[in-house]
Amino acid sequence: MSPITTGQKTESGRQYWRSLEQLHQSPSFDRWVEREFPLNATQLDEPSRRTLLKLMAASFGLAGAVACRRPVENILPFSRGVEDLIPGKSVYYASGFSLDGVTDGVLIETHDGRPTKVEGNREHPTGTGAATVFEQASVLQVYDPDRAKSVLRNRAPSTWEEFETFVTAHLEQAGDGSGIRFLSDPISSPSLNLVRSHVLERFPGARWTEYAPLVGDQVSAAARLVFNREVQPVYDLSAADRVLSLDADFLGLDWLGKTATRDFGRRRRPATGTDTINRLYVAESRFSVTGAMADHRLRVTPAEIEGIAVALAGEFGLFTPEARSAVLEDPYRRRWLSATARDLASHRGRSLILAGSRQPAEVQALAYWLNEFLGNVGETVSFAEVSPLVDSPQDLSLTDLASEMAAGRVTTLVMVNGNPAFDTPADLGFSDLLADIPTTIRFGIEEDETAALSEWVLPASHYLEAWGDGRATNGTVTLQQPMIQPLYDTRSTAEFVALVGNYPESGGYDIVRNYWLEEWGASGDERRWRRALHDGAIPETAYPEFDATIDVTAIREALEQRQSSGAVDGIEVSFYPDAAMYDGRFANNGWLQETPDPMSKLTWDNAALLSPVTAKTLAVENNDVIQIEVGGRSVEIPVLIQPGHADKAISLSLGYGRTSVGSVGRHVGQDVYPLRTTEAFWHCSGATVRKTTKRHPLACTQDHHSMEGRPVARELSVGESLSASHESEVHHAPLYQRTNSDDGYQWGMSIDLSSCIGCNACMVACQAENNIPIVGKAEVANGREMHWIRLDRYYVGDENEPQAVTQPVACQHCENAPCETVCPVAATVHSDEGLNDMVYNRCVGTRYCANNCPYKVRRFNYLDYHGDFAETEKMAFNPNVTVRMRGVMEKCTYCVQRIQEAKITASSESRDVQDGEIQSACQQTCPTEAIVFGNIADPNSEVARLRSEPRNYSVLEELNTKPRTTYLAKVRNPNPELSVDG
Amino acid sequence: MADLVLPTDGSQAVASNRLPNYAMVTESVSRVTEARPTRAWYVALAVSVSLTMVLFATLAHATITGIGVWGNNAPVFWGWPITNFVFWIGIGHAGTLISAVLFLLRQQWRTSINRFAEAMTIFAVVCAGIFPVFHMGRVWRAYWLLPIPSMTSMWPNFRSPLLWDVFAISTYALVSALFWYVGLLPDLATWRDRATTPFRRRLFGLLSLGWRGSHRQWSHYEKAYLLLAGLATPLVVSVHSIVSFDFAVSIVPGWHSTIFPPYFVAGAIFSGFAMVVTLLVVVRRVFELEHIVTRDVLEKMNCVILTTAVIVGYAYGIELFIAWYSGNPYERFAFVNRALGPYGWAYWTMVSCNVFVPQLFWWRRLRRSIPVMLSVAILVNVGMWFERFVIIVTALHRDYLPSSWGYFHPTVFDFLTFIGSVGLFFTLILLFVRFLPIVAMSEVKSGMKHEVEV
Repeated sequence: MSPITTGQKTESGRQYWRSLEQLHQSPSFDRWVEREFPLNATQLDEPSRRTLLKLMAASFGLAGAVACRRPVENILPFSRGVEDLIPGKSVYYASGFSLDGVTDGVLIETHDGRPTKVEGNREHPTGTGAATVFEQASVLQVYDPDRAKSVLRNRAPSTWEEFETFVTAHLEQAGDGSGIRFLSDPISSPSLNLVRSHVLERFPGARWTEYAPLVGDQVSAAARLVFNREVQPVYDLSAADRVLSLDADFLGLDWLGKTATRDFGRRRRPATGTDTINRLYVAESRFSVTGAMADHRLRVTPAEIEGIAVALAGEFGLFTPEARSAVLEDPYRRRWLSATARDLASHRGRSLILAGSRQPAEVQALAYWLNEFLGNVGETVSFAEVSPLVDSPQDLSLTDLASEMAAGRVTTLVMVNGNPAFDTPADLGFSDLLADIPTTIRFGIEEDETAALSEWVLPASHYLEAWGDGRATNGTVTLQQPMIQPLYDTRSTAEFVALVGNYPESGGYDIVRNYWLEEWGASGDERRWRRALHDGAIPETAYPEFDATIDVTAIREALEQRQSSGAVDGIEVSFYPDAAMYDGRFANNGWLQETPDPMSKLTWDNAALLSPVTAKTLAVENNDVIQIEVGGRSVEIPVLIQPGHADKAISLSLGYGRTSVGSVGRHVGQDVYPLRTTEAFWHCSGATVRKTTKRHPLACTQDHHSMEGRPVARELSVGESLSASHESEVHHAPLYQRTNSDDGYQWGMSIDLSSCIGCNACMVACQAENNIPIVGKAEVANGREMHWIRLDRYYVGDENEPQAVTQPVACQHCENAPCETVCPVAATVHSDEGLNDMVYNRCVGTRYCANNCPYKVRRFNYLDYHGDFAETEKMAFNPNVTVRMRGVMEKCTYCVQRIQEAKITASSESRDVQDGEIQSACQQTCPTEAIVFGNIADPNSEVARLRSEPRNYSVLEELNTKPRTTYLAKVRNPNPELSVDG
Repeated sequence: MADLVLPTDGSQAVASNRLPNYAMVTESVSRVTEARPTRAWYVALAVSVSLTMVLFATLAHATITGIGVWGNNAPVFWGWPITNFVFWIGIGHAGTLISAVLFLLRQQWRTSINRFAEAMTIFAVVCAGIFPVFHMGRVWRAYWLLPIPSMTSMWPNFRSPLLWDVFAISTYALVSALFWYVGLLPDLATWRDRATTPFRRRLFGLLSLGWRGSHRQWSHYEKAYLLLAGLATPLVVSVHSIVSFDFAVSIVPGWHSTIFPPYFVAGAIFSGFAMVVTLLVVVRRVFELEHIVTRDVLEKMNCVILTTAVIVGYAYGIELFIAWYSGNPYERFAFVNRALGPYGWAYWTMVSCNVFVPQLFWWRRLRRSIPVMLSVAILVNVGMWFERFVIIVTALHRDYLPSSWGYFHPTVFDFLTFIGSVGLFFTLILLFVRFLPIVAMSEVKSGMKHEVEV
């Protein structure tokens, strides 16, 4: 752009100009140039016939010019393949996915050099093969056409070179850097940390702030209180027979990690004959997925949790709850607590109490104390010392940074990732403060709210494009390998900080590799580096175990000092991370926007969740917009009634209502950060709620929440058997016996409802694996979502105190498939191996099959959902799965492409496919191993074993569809003391 | 009309005192097309053609954009298009029934209406045929339903009721058209002979296939007509039975029912007769044919409507009874939901229009009253449209798994397509009344008392 904008000076020094505007470099000329050559071609303003003809002539001329263009570089055909690269054959690499400073190991599936799918890294010390919803969906972000693609200065295009020139000159004048402040998201990367220390060394006056809207300081505050160290608890759910969660959604948003979830899932499966199932008590406000797994759930508001915890301590005689007994006025709560306490006490060393990370430090500390009292420390809970990465005087809290900004002491603010203009507490007024900072530099992957307010906007590489490292939940260093060259002119975080800090190495690869080679010293060599890259983790880097001695007196004092919150007045508002948007960073991710909330099944929106009783008190219904006001701040948000929610409380999920974001997420949902303050970071009481006249229709994927007494998702209590709970049906002998060959492979699936936690991971995995389109809010509201596997969630029991059960439902692959007989063109047919195959090419779209499917698993392309994809987005497709056109039916195929791949491999090795060799995408990623796929004709296969369990049943068995997918009934383990008449 | 003398003997209704001779029959019927069309006809045609254009535009939109422009969703994969399809096919039942079955049963009174009813049948089948074709996701592949393996390398699935539909409807359309055309021959020849312009003479000469009215020709003609009537009669029963198989063969609660074939056939006769009455009441008035299409004829039609209303009412009752008696919880739920669920309004509209309203015809005075029969017939048509809507949508919207339950909202394109198909129907009717003999002159004459010496 520069040669045009500046008047062209020739060698003779004469300046040629075309107009006075150009000569004087007037803004109108700049605008003209900008309009002439913009990124997105300018629209025609009222084209006259003459203009049109001129443009057409020009287009013809230019078209000819384009045709003359030949690449200067030599391009070579693939006459010799790149080693190990077989078209259609995927290659997997280990890498690491970071979220708020925790880098978990992942395995990236690539096709022809394009990352297409994220799976979990089994080899990683904290990995199980499962991948979270966010990890799975992250692959879409790299191809997001709305990403920040180029450097901007004051919204005008610029370059990295210009920035480098600027920043070098700018920082040279900065002296000791006392006006420089850095603000980043949490950093656990050892190599990045080295670069950071280099920068901070260079500018001793500079300060570095880490902030993440969903990382509270309660856990570390509790650790400081109890141990006076940076210590984090490590829970062993495999050893816990009795688990009490105090507002800890440890299977959902307070995710403890993949191994913990897997262990919990295993403990929910009753092994035949013995009672090994654990018992879960949950006290919480919002109905979470953890609450849905609970055997006994108590509805309490977040503020009441403290009272419950103290009362529990009172049950053990540890601490006398005086003022806090208000929460125990309800007799059911007293009964619940004493029964729970007795049950926990009778399982000394085999029980576990978890306090949610959103609870105050004192409650966390009390949970440690209770665990200590119950003898659980060292058994079900241990502690690890987190090596404090930064323990320097150059740390600064966000509040202090804000006050410095307000005082005008900050001249240069460098913002590394995060989105502080959107997600910082409202009382800080960060966006307003940002406007007064002379130099604001923003480095991030999106052109978000912060970028909109910054002078410099620098595009960040996606983690699939950049080198890096980071620590996993247990401290193990995870290496992050790029899968693809950066699609745009972007840099990695380490590269950016290195650039700002004039670090000797500038390449991301060198920064990470040299850090580790230096760290390893003599024992470090290329071989070890490569091994670490291959495995995705550096062994023996976990946080060391901390021999904990719990300082009981400190906890007691802290609790006594704490002012009792007393009776809660007004309505309590709590904030929670959204299951799909997280803190808002995934707003432009269509997969996540369309992934329904695990409990409310809400897509493309957030809502004020409140209980049926509270809704009645407020006289509101679903879709009514309410105004919530706390301390002079207010937001407007639609209501969604959530059975099982605590009364007099509202839950608001963070991360929606983004304004400056790509086309997918813009103005989706309501931004509730304006209610959140540094004081009321997680919850606040005394909210006033006013019903407005507005209505905002919400799009849920499930509109009916009761099973209507039908045996769909079956449940048992420990000791019950399935036949007792449902009438045996009379079966007549079939008139026509289809000969179903038992030879060869007969594929089947077993889904264990006992361990399914309803986390949605399978849905997103299936979406990535099978190129499933998203359809948008209006289509979801019309029931046209395309997910091949869905999670049905049913409430059981009373409207106010319901239990919930989730059931993954995909095509059941019926042996007597009702869909197959009715298709007029034979587009859905049965394979020899028992698959219900869908032939897209043959389908004409009568939709008769879908009507006749009793499980309603078939999805129809009503519109061209795959129509307008950006070129980059097309790169995310799995090349082994057909992209379906409009007008055809589709559904779960049991991942037939994976079956075929395994069969081909086996046949080329002259052997049979081994049990467990084929994993469907949903099975592969299931964190609790609830889904098992295999050959049911092989009596030794896992799936055959599960199908012979007494808990095994088919949904709608009486229709005689003979589904190949069968379910294992959910087993609950109620406390006999509580199960008699709640 | 006031001076019309009502004959006491219904079987000889057409031969009323107003028709002293054959010439007057020919004159009354031919006048309709030989006179210049009225302004009203032009206005009506303009409206109908406009609506037909709306239909074509909507279908083009649905084809280009995708059938998602309609309200169909999951779980209601079939919505208005199939409702309209069954509705029109039902309408298309009256013609063949009147011409073929009543012919075989020697019901002379049919002669004044059979031509019109047959034409209406064909036009209704044309309207019906549009929907199953265009509601396909890939309409450009519709020919894959035809058994032409030389082209597609494979046979269609003969187990699918939709394929039976293809055969049933195409056969019905073909036989109905043939039957209609054969019936037209003597009348076309009459018009050829009456033609005053060379064009009309040529045109009707061509269309009448050389009919001379010789005894031999009459003899062949009567045989052919009888044979075609015999051929068409089973089709009257089969076409709607097979349409009902689309539902009955499935396993959807509320569809899976053995009563469907007779119930659908009765419903089709019911709606077809209602449509014939609706149209004839208007046509006989506009074209002054009251002396040919007499009140007696209409009364007989109304008797058929009353009879079929009772049959349909019985079917509704039996469905409820069987749902309860079967002990099948899904079936029970489907019917409770149908009557008391979110679509209860549609169910009760259907029951009111189809069962309660026709009961008025028990009173002779009411079934002979033109305003009453017109209102009843229109309401029956509304009710029968709702019957198909109720069957399709209420059964689908809540089937086996409550998690997948939904609700169906029609879009503006659903309305436009339906109204457009009505426009097409009336366009064809208007063209028919303008260009072809709307009453079978030769047959009416055959039913008249032979003139004694004039």
